[in-house]
This record gives sequence, structure tokens and C-alpha cells, in this order.
Amino acid sequence: MTDITAHGHASSTGISNVKLGMWTFLGSECLLFGGLISTYMLYRGRVTGGPRPSQIFDIPFTSVSSFVLLMSSLTMVLAVSAAHKSEDRKTNLWLTVTALLGATFVGGQVYEFTAFYNEGLGFSTSLFGSSFYTLTGFHGVHVTVGIIMLMSLVGIFKRSKVSGNKAEVVEMIGLYWHFVDIVWIIIFTLVYLIPV
Amino acid sequence: MAIMEREIEVITPITATPSSTYGVLKRPVAATGWRAWVFTVDHKKLGLMYGVTAMFFFIVGGVEALLIRLQLAAPNGKVLNADLYNQMFTMHATTMVFLFVMPMAAGFANYFIPLQIGARDVAFPRMNALGFWLLLFGGIFINLSWFLGGAADGGWFMYAPNSGPVFSPTHGIDFWAFGLQIAGIASLTGAINLIVTVLNMRAPGMTLMKMPIFTWMMTVVQFLLLFAVPVITVALFLLSFQRNFGARFFDVAAGADPLLWQHLFWIFGHPEVYILVLPSFGIVSEVLPVFSRKPLFGYPFVVFSGAAIGFVGWGVWAHHMFASGLGPVSVAVFSLTTMAIAVPTGVKIINWTLTMWGGKLVFSTAMKFSIGLIVLFTVGGLSGVTHSVAPSDTQQTDTYYIVAHFHYVLFGGGVLGIFSGLYYWWPKMFGKMLNERLGNWNFWLMVIGMNLTFGPMHILGLQGQPRRMYQFTNARSGEGLFNFAFWNLVASIGSFVLAVGILLFLINVVITARNPTKSPLDPWNARSLEWMTSNPPKEHNFDVIPTVHHLDEFFHRKYEEDSATHTMRQIATAEEIMAEQERNADAHIHMPSPSYWPVVLAFGLPVITFGMIFSHLIAVFGAIIVFFAAFGWALEPSTAPASDFETNNSAPGKALESVGKS
Amino acid sequence: MNHSAKHLYLKHLVTSVLRMVGKKSRTLFGVSLLSFIAASCAKNAPQDTWQPKGPNAKIIDDLQQPVFAVAGVIGLIVAVAVIYSVLKYKDRGQPIPEQTHGKPALEITLTIIPALILAVVAVFTFGAIFKLAKTDDTEMIINVTGQQWWWEYDYPVQNDFGITQPIISSGQLVLPVGTKVLLRETSRDVIHSYWIPALNGKRDAVPGRIQTLRLEADEPGIFTGQCTEFCGLSHANMRMEAVALSKADFAKWVANQQAAYVAPAKDSLAQQGEAVFLNQCVRCHQVNGLMRADGTPAIAAPDENVWSGSAPNLTHLMSRNTFAGASFDLLSKQCRDEVWNAPSDVIGTKYLAGVSQDCLNQKDLRSWLRNAPEMLPMYANPTQLAATGGKYRGMPYLALSEDDISKLVAYLLTLK
Repeated sequence: MTDITAHGHASSTGISNVKLGMWTFLGSECLLFGGLISTYMLYRGRVTGGPRPSQIFDIPFTSVSSFVLLMSSLTMVLAVSAAHKSEDRKTNLWLTVTALLGATFVGGQVYEFTAFYNEGLGFSTSLFGSSFYTLTGFHGVHVTVGIIMLMSLVGIFKRSKVSGNKAEVVEMIGLYWHFVDIVWIIIFTLVYLIPV
Repeated sequence: MAIMEREIEVITPITATPSSTYGVLKRPVAATGWRAWVFTVDHKKLGLMYGVTAMFFFIVGGVEALLIRLQLAAPNGKVLNADLYNQMFTMHATTMVFLFVMPMAAGFANYFIPLQIGARDVAFPRMNALGFWLLLFGGIFINLSWFLGGAADGGWFMYAPNSGPVFSPTHGIDFWAFGLQIAGIASLTGAINLIVTVLNMRAPGMTLMKMPIFTWMMTVVQFLLLFAVPVITVALFLLSFQRNFGARFFDVAAGADPLLWQHLFWIFGHPEVYILVLPSFGIVSEVLPVFSRKPLFGYPFVVFSGAAIGFVGWGVWAHHMFASGLGPVSVAVFSLTTMAIAVPTGVKIINWTLTMWGGKLVFSTAMKFSIGLIVLFTVGGLSGVTHSVAPSDTQQTDTYYIVAHFHYVLFGGGVLGIFSGLYYWWPKMFGKMLNERLGNWNFWLMVIGMNLTFGPMHILGLQGQPRRMYQFTNARSGEGLFNFAFWNLVASIGSFVLAVGILLFLINVVITARNPTKSPLDPWNARSLEWMTSNPPKEHNFDVIPTVHHLDEFFHRKYEEDSATHTMRQIATAEEIMAEQERNADAHIHMPSPSYWPVVLAFGLPVITFGMIFSHLIAVFGAIIVFFAAFGWALEPSTAPASDFETNNSAPGKALESVGKS
Repeated sequence: MNHSAKHLYLKHLVTSVLRMVGKKSRTLFGVSLLSFIAASCAKNAPQDTWQPKGPNAKIIDDLQQPVFAVAGVIGLIVAVAVIYSVLKYKDRGQPIPEQTHGKPALEITLTIIPALILAVVAVFTFGAIFKLAKTDDTEMIINVTGQQWWWEYDYPVQNDFGITQPIISSGQLVLPVGTKVLLRETSRDVIHSYWIPALNGKRDAVPGRIQTLRLEADEPGIFTGQCTEFCGLSHANMRMEAVALSKADFAKWVANQQAAYVAPAKDSLAQQGEAVFLNQCVRCHQVNGLMRADGTPAIAAPDENVWSGSAPNLTHLMSRNTFAGASFDLLSKQCRDEVWNAPSDVIGTKYLAGVSQDCLNQKDLRSWLRNAPEMLPMYANPTQLAATGGKYRGMPYLALSEDDISKLVAYLLTLK
């Protein structure tokens, strides 16, 4: 899998194409979240009669779900490590656990959105509402895509459809997963912890 | 992504008939007919498809431009009404920027980067195909709006709140935003792909500072795209969410700040300017040395100035907003950075001129376009410097002076470079040379036409004609023969001269296609690796991956310096070098098989966005397409079974026979 | 372009060009270049950016003249160098030259020179930026509000200028000469941009923000401008005119604007017009002091009918030269020329005379009242109003009879 350049010589950087591709993609993602976070930071205080951030945020709840997501990075590391040792069963196990932890986080987000909505914060209520749901929603979609990738990986591994180096694939998806986690740490700090 | 791109196990494909290949997860193998194009993952075919698409949209955008000039040929024009005029200039800019120059550059990059760095394909061939189809479908999607209630009418800059649902109640802006979103994904996948290709797949010995300058400039462009596209993505999402889902991002009543859009748009938009011209700078930096028979003067300076433009280009965006009310400190800072970026740009012009200095100049059509670029881009660059003087810019901004400026940059810089590249690389891509006599006419009509069209706009702007006006009136046009009506008429006449020039290019293409004469192997006495293979190159590009020792490797294989006189002495011909390669051809070359999924996946996205506008049910249908295509992609076997392929008649070592003799 | 400005620019340009061309062709070249540039500009273009008529525009002009000259010279140097190489190094069978890869010392020199030139330009640019951003020396404030597709001018109470009650006007910005006026700009809908080239550069009017622009005129005169931020269908028709009056004339203008409403004479056509106005126009257009038949003040409610929330205040309409956002002249061609072409010492008097019956541009005004959307592209078509909840943008078609139109015109003529 290190030689995926398809024509017989090693890659110039020593990093495989897929991993380099993922790094490049994540560089681009930084700007995507940068734009969304900037928008939120500009608008978070503009509530036009709707609820203010401090009135609806449930910090203990979100802290717990943030912790769950952080733990999923740990299990992802274990999955990568197992994949490097070619321990297929362990790899599948840790990938599944990672996906489950991710799903728990997304579930928490769905619950949180519902609660906020019931407390009067709709998507159209205020600039705070629009930018909050857009930012956290984008992050949630990223986590969901990650979960789909993880579960697909488990499914594909089970049918032994991967001809290349499994560890490489797991590592690449791991990069994505860690990135999404790191972005959440930033979002959690800026959105939930720093008061308006 | 990992499962998508992996080691390709077998086979130099190619002319093969699809026999039993329609099983859902098998890979297609057709090498002839439309399937050979629709399912291809070959970077050269995709490059050509990008080129054809770009040319098509160039004509569309050109017709829009001619309609605009017809409307403005005389005061109180009646050719278009205000509504149609607003759609026309919005779509003219959108088409030229996103659907002509960017895809054309992507086409050149796709075709020539692997060839220039001695690679057999790009890093992610299927993603490459996906990018092309997204661009094509995105472009068609934007233009569908013409037939579904009217195109976008907010200007390509689409300033909020004028882009809101109240001010533009048709679906034009929805089509525009979603279509650009789709084309944006194409740019992003292209950027990732080419960056990895350049960083990872260079021929042995090709260090970064031995890389051909076109590849260098395109690499800078890909990094700009990589970081600029997500910013416009955010902006377009905010706009779409506001228009379609009731978000309030630009709703002033809710306390929104309209300048948010401007900042997001120009943080993307200014790097975008360099995304549009740097490819042409790369082309010119290839063409000038070839036809001056001298290396590019100050190669490292040109590389670093390109990179410097790439960096500083991020710090100048607010010079589009000098009249927006940023406050004097911001204005001063952005004024300074804008002046700063003029320096590396100037370095390029100086280096091009010095490349010609002391050379042995051959005035092919490609060379003429490149020389034209130096002069005309300089005009645009210098008028750009006058805008960096912010107080002066507050007089000039949003007048025709700006229109003149950026057309000298984008047409004088961008488009002339593209045509230079077309003439230069045509024999490489098609094995035939474009007619040079027609090329001469093409060049002069385009240059004269563009100066007639955009030159008078300097005067119009400085004398106070604002942009984006569907009519101008005699009351504000001044007196005397040379009033606004006169200069507008000159510009309109010039636009038709320009159009005739471009028409000549299309005629040239047809004539060349019908002419059976084959091009020589090395018609221009070129310098870089893409010329070290057949015309057009074989599917696998090189029989042997060359080992690189020099910048301008190919030239140095042909010539040797006479140590006494320092002049160059020929030691080998292109044919000899080619024959040598064919003798040593690699026996087993691995090439990726074609795939169904890129085009299917790409088709799903416009279905989703169409559904977002008209009916969410359709969007669900599109999502299902995307979902299944993604899994088809992931689960696709790495290559078609060997039994599906027929005999191979573009095998290594068999191309020289088809080459025309010089 | 005007002569003094052009002169300065040409001097820079021509002398430097002359240095480069051969001695013999100097005269010929200089003359032809000079005549080319001089001849290629429109005469008296009212929005010429190189004809400053006030100190702020002068600051910009003093900066841009040398910058343009330097840019022109550099452009010529590049063009000459390219043409020289093209002629000199054409392939005449010479051997392939030495493959030199460049001379770093030369490169660095040629990088530093433009950087130094730009550094000098930057110093002067910074000075101008901060001079033009000053607000603490303001003598008079005018609030300017953009709306699709006209400008509202609102003079807050300023006793120094005799403004004892707010004046709300539109179409023409009236200001005293030699006075540092500060415009406080905003917008009610989309972004517009305020630009009177003779007096200063442009400044965007952004909804939700108040932004300032300095204006000052040296001499009495009328200076034109246009909205320069794309603002929808009638962007091209959204014009402005700045009328600079001597301080004495300005005081007269202020007094007139504050004069009480004079009802039309009994049983006159104008009085019937007042009834039509009350019936149709007052929904959106305010005329201060106008009473309904029942004796209550007729207060317009544009916010209920117009999406952007306002319509031009028509009190003293006939003191202005224009209507419909300065899109059309209220004065007939001949009368307008008489005012606009008047020398600066009498232009104030002529302007203050307002619009008399003989001078009224009947044709455009009547067409406007007959069917405004036909005169000016607006989103005034009822089928396009779904997004605005039925509110109009721009003046709608009112189905007035020709009789009503005549009555209205007679009434409007009384609004001196």
C-alpha cells in the first residue's frame, strides 16, 4: 500500500498517496470550519429576542458527550495499532467501538438540538440560532460521515474485499476521525465554555 | 478513500471490448466509443474533456459578453431589459471565471502535470474523473436556470443582502449557489489529487527545484484552491441556508452584518484571481524559454515569486472593499499588502523579458501570445497598482476603469496565456500542429480586439461611467466626439473583432483536424519531459520513466554546451531519444481500469440540489444515487479481470512509426 | 479631463517618454502622444474623476496624478524592453545561446527598485487615507439614506445653519460651499454607494451600519454622481446631484425648506389635485403640513406599502430639479441648461428659483404618474411581490386617469 503510485517507484515524500491526500483534505477542512466558527463568533451575541446561549446551554451534558467523543479518539488509536499488527478481529472490534462512541455523541447532539428547539431556539429565530445550528450541524455531519466510513470499513474487512494494506486504510480514516475530534474541542471551547 | 485508490494489479489496458463487464461491481474496460470517454480515468482524456467543456462555456460566456456589448453600444440600449442585463453580466462573469478559465487550467494541469513530472497518471485517477463530471454537471446546473425562471441576477460577487430572497425572488441565485458548490467540490478534489501527484509521483531525480515551471505554478494554484474553495463553500452554504431554509445570516433586521459576505467572498475571491492567472504565468514561463532557446531567466525567482504571490494573495482581499467602510487602519494595511504583492508580480514580468533578452527568438503563434501577455498583463498589473492607492481607488472602484483593469489581467494575462498553451501543446495533445498562418490572424485579431474593447474602458471609468449599468445616458456622457457613446461604441466594435479572432481559432481547429499531416515528434525544439514521448502520448505516457538530472531535462538530452564558445551543440534528436526509450520499454506497466462510479456519483449531486430547490423528494432520490455510487466506488474491484481485455496495440515501444518527420 | 490636471500628468509622462526615444523623433512622438491623450477624453464629462472641485477630491487627485504618471512610465519601459528584444534577438540563424540561468544580483536589484517606488507611494497613500477619514473637524452633518433606487437627505437640527427643524429631502443634496460636511450614510435595503466624483471618492451605504464621507465644495455649482454599488434593477438609474450654494443662498434654501405648507387656492385645479394626492399618493408620500378633509394631518405610512419602508418626501418638491431618485429632470431641457450652465456667482439664484409652470418637464412627470414601472425598471409588478408580502419596491402603476394626472401635476407645482 505504500506503493500506490501505480508505476513502480516509491512516493517522493515517503508518505503514501492516500495519507497525503487525507492530510491535504484536512488542510482544506480547517478553512471550512474556520469560516463557520468565525461566522458563529461574529453572530453568537445577536439573539433578537430569542434565547441567549447562556440560557439554553447545558454544559454538564455537553461535557459528557464531548468526553465520549474524545474517548473515541482513543479507541481509534487502538484500532490503528491493531491494524498495524494485522490483528483483524481486534481491528474490527475497536473500529466498531469507535463508531458506537461517535454515534453516542451524535445522539447527544440530536437530543440537545431537540431540547434547544423546545426552549425556543429555531434555525430562523436569530443569528445566534442560524449560526449555532449551522456550525454544530456541520460538525455533526462530519461525525456521521465518519461513522459510516468506520462501519463500512468493518463490513468490507469482514468480506475481505480490501486488496491493499488494511493498516493504511484504517490509519487514513483515523486521521479524519482525530481531526473531527480536535475540531470539536475547539468548538466546545469557543461555543460552550467562553461566555458571550 | 483508501479503498478507492490502490495498487493496480495488471495490464496495460486497452483497446478492449466490454464483454461480460456489466456485472454491478466489475470495472468497465472499453477503449473505444463513448464508453471510453465517459468511464475513463485517464488523465489525458480527462484533460481533453476539461478543455472541450471549458471551450464550450467560453463560447457561452462570449455570447453573453457580446450581448452586453450590444446593449451598451449606444446610449439607452434596448437590446436587453434591466432584468436580463443583470442576469447576463452575472452569468458572463460566473461562466468565464468558474466554467472557462478554471476548467481550462484544470485541463492543462491534468494533461501535462503527470507528463511534466514523468508520471504515468495522477495519484487518484477515479477522483480525477469525479472532478471533471462534477464540474460539467455543476456548469450545466447553473445554466439550467436560464430555462427555469431566470438566471442569477446579483452579480458574480453576489453581495448580501441584494442576494436575499426578497431582492431576487427567482431561483437563479439558488441554481448559482448550488452549482458553484458542485463545481467547488470538483476544484477541491482536483487540488488534492494534483498536490499529491506532484509531491509524491515525480520521476527519480526530479527535485522540486528541477520541476518544470508550469507544474510549479499549477501546484501553487492547487494550494490556493485547497484553501480558498472551503471559504466560498461556507459563504455559499450561508447563502443557500438563508434562501432555502430560513436562516438569517444576511438579514439586517436580525442584526446581520452584510460585510460578512464580502469578507468571506473576497477571502476566496482574491486568491481566486491568482488561481485564474497563475496557470497562464506557468504556460508563458514554459513557452518563452522554448522559443528563446534559453532557460527561463531566474527560475528560482519565478518559483518563489509565484509562491510569494500565493501567500501574499491571502492578505489583500479587502482591497476589493476600500469603499465599504472598513476604517482607515484596515484600509492602510490592505493598501500596503496590495502594493507588496505587486513586487513578486513585477519580478515575473522582469524575468520573462530577460528570458527573451539575448535569446534566439522564434515567433511561433504560441510565442506571440506569450509576448502579447507580457505587454498586456503589464498594463493590467499597473492599473492594479493604481488601485492599491486606496484613496484613488475610492474614485475608481465600481467604474469601468476596474472593468478595464481586470480584463487586461484576466484576458491579457489569463486568456492569452491559455491560447499560447493551446498552440504550444496542440501537437502534443493531437499529434497535429495548428495552422500557424491562421494562428497569426487569430493572435492579431484577438490582441487588437481586446485592446479596442477594454482599452477605452480606462477612459470611460476615469471619466465616471459606473459598472453594472444596463444603460448609460447622454446626460452624463460628456461632450465632443470622444464622449461616452463613442468609446462605448468602440468597445462594442472591439468585442466583435475579438469574437472573430476566437472564431478563427475554432476554424483553425477544424482545419487542423481535417489535415492529415502529422506533427514532428518535437516540433518546437522543446525543453521539458512532456515532449519526451509520442504525440499524442501513449496511455501509459512513458515507455521508461526517465531519470532526471537537469531542469529542462529533455533539452539537455538533446544539447551539450561547447565549453569553448558556451554555445549549444546538438548531440541527439528527439527521435533518437524516443527510439532509445522504446528499446528499453518497461515490460509490465500497471494502469488503472476505467470506472462507472465517478460519473454516477457526480450525477447524484445536481439531482440533490435540484431537489433542494424544487422538491425534497427529488433530493432524497439524488442522495440515494450518491450513496450507492459511493459504495459501488468503494467496493469496486481494483481492476477488470484480465480476460476482459483484448490485445494491446499501444504496447510500449510502438509509437515512433506514427510520428511525422520534421 | 480638465486642463490643469491633465497638464501635470502629461508633463510627467511626456518628459520621461522623451528621454527614451531618439532625439529626432522626440518632437513628433511627444506631440502625437499629447494630442492622443488630450483628444481621447470626453469634454466636460460631469463625473470625471480627474476634475476635483473640493479639497477632499483634491487630496485624491494630488495622489493619483503622480501614481498614474509613474505607472505609465513603467509600462512604457516594459513595452520598450519587450519590443527591443523582439527586434534585436529575432532568430537570424545565430547559434543557440549560452544557457544562462539568471543573474541573482540583477534580479535582486530589479526587485528592490519597484519595492522602493511602492514604499514611497505607500507613505503618501497613508497620509491621504487618514486625512480623508478625519471626522473631528466636521462643521455640518447630513444623514444620507439609500433605498432602491433613490437617496433620502435628512438634515438634523443645526442652529448654526438656521436648521431649526429637521429637513427631509431627496433627489438633490444641497450643501453650503467652503463647509466641511460629513455625510452619515446608511441604507434601508441593499448596499448602495454614494459618489460625487468632483467632491470625494465613494463610500458604501450599508444597511445596519452608519458610515461617514467627507464632502466639501470650493465653489457653487451642481455636481453629479451615481450609485456605484450594484443594487438591483434600476441601479443604472439611481443618480445623485450635489448642489453647492453660497452660504447666503444656502440660508435661503434652508428657510424655504422650513416654510409652512401653503394649501392650493380654493376651487383651483391644484386643489382638486390635492384631493387626488390625499386619495392616492399620501399612502406613501409625505407632504409636511398637508391636512385631510377632516382636518387631521395626512401622515404617510410608506412602511405599510413599500418594502424598504420609505418613499420620497415631497414637501417642497418643486425646489428640486429632479424626481424619482434623480432619474428624471423636473426642469425642461432648456430651463435645466440655464440653471446648470450658469456661472458660479449666479447659479445659486437660478437654482433657488425652483420649477415654474413654464419650466416643468411635463412629459416625464406625466408619464411617471401614468405608469411609473414603464419608465423605470422596478419590482413593482404585483406578481413579483410574493417574497415581500405584497409590498412594493418602487412606485407602482396607479391607474390614474388623464384628468387626475393633470390635477396632480397642478397640485405638485404648488409644492414650492
